Parts: sequence; structure tokens; C-alpha cells
Amino acid sequence: MPKSDRHTYKPVPAEVVRIIDEAPGIKTFRLRFERPGDRKRFDFLPGQFGLFSLMGIGEATFSMCSSPREEEIEISVRNVGNTTDAMFTMKKGDLIGVRGPYGKGFPLDVVKGKDVVIVAGGIGFPPLVSVLEYLLFRRKDYGKIWVIYGVKTVDDIVYRYKGPRWRKHKDVTITTTVEKKCREWNGCTGMVTDHIRKLKINPANTAGFSCGPPVMLKFVSEEFQKLGIEPENIHLSLERMMQCGIGKCGHCNIGDKYVCRDGPVFSLAELRRMQEDVW
Amino acid sequence: MTQDSYYFIEKKDLQGFIDALTLKMSVFAPVRKGRGFRFEKLKNKQKLDLNGYINTEFPPKSILMPEGEALVRYKESMICEVFDDVKKAVFAIRPCDVHAMLLLDKVMMGHGDIEEHYEARRKNLIVIAMNCTEAGENCFCESMETDRLYGGFDLLFTENGNGYHVEAGSEEGKKIIDDSAKLFRKSSGMPAKTKPGCTKKIDTAGLPEIMKKAANSSIWEDTAKRCLSCASCTFVCPTCYCFSLKHEPDVTDLKNGEVKREMDYCMLLRFSKVAGDYVFRQHRTERVKQFFYHKLVYGLENEGKNHCVGCGRCITECMAGIDITEEAAKVRKKYAKV
Repeated sequence: MPKSDRHTYKPVPAEVVRIIDEAPGIKTFRLRFERPGDRKRFDFLPGQFGLFSLMGIGEATFSMCSSPREEEIEISVRNVGNTTDAMFTMKKGDLIGVRGPYGKGFPLDVVKGKDVVIVAGGIGFPPLVSVLEYLLFRRKDYGKIWVIYGVKTVDDIVYRYKGPRWRKHKDVTITTTVEKKCREWNGCTGMVTDHIRKLKINPANTAGFSCGPPVMLKFVSEEFQKLGIEPENIHLSLERMMQCGIGKCGHCNIGDKYVCRDGPVFSLAELRRMQEDVW
Repeated sequence: MTQDSYYFIEKKDLQGFIDALTLKMSVFAPVRKGRGFRFEKLKNKQKLDLNGYINTEFPPKSILMPEGEALVRYKESMICEVFDDVKKAVFAIRPCDVHAMLLLDKVMMGHGDIEEHYEARRKNLIVIAMNCTEAGENCFCESMETDRLYGGFDLLFTENGNGYHVEAGSEEGKKIIDDSAKLFRKSSGMPAKTKPGCTKKIDTAGLPEIMKKAANSSIWEDTAKRCLSCASCTFVCPTCYCFSLKHEPDVTDLKNGEVKREMDYCMLLRFSKVAGDYVFRQHRTERVKQFFYHKLVYGLENEGKNHCVGCGRCITECMAGIDITEEAAKVRKKYAKV
């Protein structure tokens, strides 16, 4: 086999074309692949992820938050570790390594014709933003859309600039909820579960999507079921440590499954069959 | 293999065979180190000493996944992936370890994604196996049906009297014999395979189903109380393949550097830690369970084969005296009839 054909871990270069300060400690990076062919190969579906690297520093996993239709891709990064710390020093024009896309995304084909409830917690929002952009582009293929987005404090809210465009669409309800009441916020308060409870849905024709901290996912899936949504129609994106992205390094194991390869999106029915605690 | 695949070599000629092989490629063979043997690359004409060799302390997986191997190299903005396509041979690898390697093949080159660094090394590895005539005190390969080979080798040696019967399992194996033709004579077949005679046993009949019933058993909590989370079991397991990717800049010039593979171990707390310091397997019980279930349950489901080959190394190295055969027996006793 000629050497050039082999690439398991080699990233391709992408240029930072825009940096958006979303919130304290959260930035969105808009990236353009240096070679257009690389974008074609990085043909992702909402919920899939990529591995983004800075040579000499490290590699980190992010789900794309932009629409798969766009030539450029976007990732939202919370500064919590070595690699993300270094990413925060990047300027427009800097290069970052990209490999992927990996994993299975949200089953957007399967839920065609259904109403969709999207519940996001904190920095679990990005993959669901990609989902939402996808649903809005194919608006006629889907029913009603509810988005419930929960954050700890008002400062943590991201994508404020996208809200007005999303709200213009018919039958799209966006609820942003802040955990505790405060002077700077006159919108909804409480946990995301408080707002799922209030939804009036037709459970037989509704799919529930969620991404967020493990504990939140546990309670969200319970609330979805209380509304009558079947476990097969509840799809959750899990977080795990990921290094290789191709089901070899073992870090993302849950029982006999690999989150990077078999997920990161699993139906609640699949999660119930897992042989290890999921949450 | 056909009738013409059998040979015999006298013990006095073995060194000559290894010397000839060492001239053609890197040969890894058991070398006496400390209190046992380790696979090491032989130096030219290095004297082979298999006296008292039952198996190595550390499994041969390091030949295929060497600690700290460079996977990606970068210089300024040039990034290239590096592969080891050098021909190598492993000599006197035991059947259990060959089974382990065949299993690693399924993990690293199966499931629709090929780890090409492993593949490069594996394709270029000549496997010269050696049957066991004696079992070590912690061996239980007979229970795992890994005490004999039906393939997966280029040459298979079986000690017999003053020499070795040799079976060629591939054309490449035959060629190696042809290259040292005067040291071998043709033979009509292999001697009947004797059992190594393991004293330890695991009853594997229906074990995965029984273990599934024990998923929340207090057995694992009790074992976790003894476990020191030292990761020795995973370190010496021939089928443990978990690893991490480490970026390592050249300290004299930060624009250059490598991405390396470091073996990693699920027994360690940090193994499942994600950004923000959340640890998914926080409790030792979960980590202990992961080891036993990966070895005896998950492997069967993912690769159709047990991930335990019965080499007994994890028993030998465990400082707390945790024994996978005893754990399996405990589970069977408590849950077989539940």
C-alpha cells in the first residue's frame, strides 16, 4: 500500500476565519478547510464529532454546531483544559488540525414527519444547534419543533444572536431557562425538566433529542417518558473521554459499546441494554 | 498444511537457525531478565537461552504496540503520519499469546476501521510459535481453549527429545526453513499434542450469562476492597489494548514534535476522566468490574472470542492476590442457579 493512502491520526489543516465570544469561557470558532477536498471528506451529519488538534499541545473532541450544508464548520469550545486553553489564544488566520467526522449522529431520517423536542444543557447545546439548523432547512419534512435550552446563569447563554432567526420559523418554540431567578433575567427560570413537563405534545408522533451533563440526561429521559415518548424515540448524545475516534483506544467504553463508534448518539432503548451504568 | 510442511531440527542447531534469521530481520525472543523472561530484540549472534522458559512476564503485545511509538510527526507546518513497515519475527511465542494477537487483530483491524499503525507492524510480523510442554502455576489456557493452535503462525515448534518438530503454517514460514535448509530435516508429521497440564481452571460454560446476572453483585465490591488500582493486571494482559495519544513537542524546538501512543489502563481513575474533571468510573468497583467483564463477557459479544486467553499473568502480577479464576468461580457459585 502506498504510504500516502494511510492516515489514521493525521489531521488536515483548517483556518480560523472567525471567532465569536459567546460567553465567559466559551468561544465559537468558524473554520475553513485549507483544501476544499478536505471539506468534502469531512461530510458530517448533526451529532457527529471531530477531533481538533493543536500540534504539540493536544487534541480535543467537539461536535460541530453549524449546519452540515455550510462550507465552513463551527465548533463551540468551553475553556476547561490544556488544549482548549491553547485554542483560546488562537487568532483569526491561525491553523488548527481536524480529523473526522466520527460516530453516529442524530437519526434525522428516521424521525422524518415527527414533531421534535430538543433539550440542551449548557455546552451540550452545539450538536443540537446543528440538528436545529438541519430541521429548519428541511422545515416541511418535520412537524413542530420545541427547543428547551437550560443554563446555570444568565452569563452562560450562548448563540443569543441566532435566536431571532430561529424564532421567525413557523411552529418553532424556543425556551431559554436560567436555573435561578436573578435581576438580569426576566425570561424563564428553573431546570429544563420543569419546562419539558409543561409541553403539550402528541407522544406517538414525537422524538426527543437531548445533550448535556450526564445527570441532566438521566432526568430528561425520565421526563420524556412521562410525556409518553417511547424509548426508541428518545435520542441522547453522550459525553465520554475520546482519543482515537475509531473504537480502538478504549477510553469511551460503556460495557461492550464504544461511544465514539456506536454513538455518541444512542436511543434510550439502546442505553437500557447497556451493560454498565450510563449516567 | 500439506505433508511437506513438517520438519525436525535438533536442539544444537537452534542457535544457528536463530543467528541466520537475525541477519535477515529483527528477531524478538524470550530473554532472561530479572526473575523471568521478556521478549527482547536479539542482538547479532546473541545466545538463546530457553532453559526454564514457560512464558514471558510481559506479553508480546509491545512488539505490535510499542510503548511511546510515534504515530504522527510534525515539523513547522508539515505533518506526516509514520508507519513501521520493518520486517520482524517473534520467536517462541506461546499459543495463548498467539490467540491474544489474533484477538488484537480483530479489535485493531476489524469493525470497519483499521488502525493502520498496528496493521503495518502486524503484516510484517513473522510468528514463530512454540507449544508448551509444561504449564506455569497460574496458567489456565486449557479452560480457554488457547493451549493449541490451528493457525495464526508461520512456524510452530514443538519440543520433542533432543530437538523440535516444526510445522510450517504459511509459505513465508516454509521459505524461512528453506533459507536454513541444512539445519532441518523433513518429517512425516507432528507428535501428538500433549496437554500442558494446567492446575487452574475456569468453567466457561454459560459464563457470560451468569456474569450478566451478577452485574450488581456485592462480589465486585468485595474484590474492589482488595484491589489497589495499580493496573498491573491490564499492564500484563496480552489482550489489553487501551491507549492514549500524547502530543510531545521537541523541547529544543517547539515547532517540531510527535504524537505518540502510550498504553493506558482502565484500572486507573483518570482513564475515564473528561474535561471538567468528571470521572465516569469514579468507584473502584466499576473499574474492577470493567476488567472482568471485558475479559469474559464483552469480548465474546464484540469479537466473538473471549478476551481472556488464560495466560495467568494478571494472577501472577496482582499484589492483592486477586485471581480471575477464583472470581469466575465465585460468580458461578452464587449466580448459576439464580
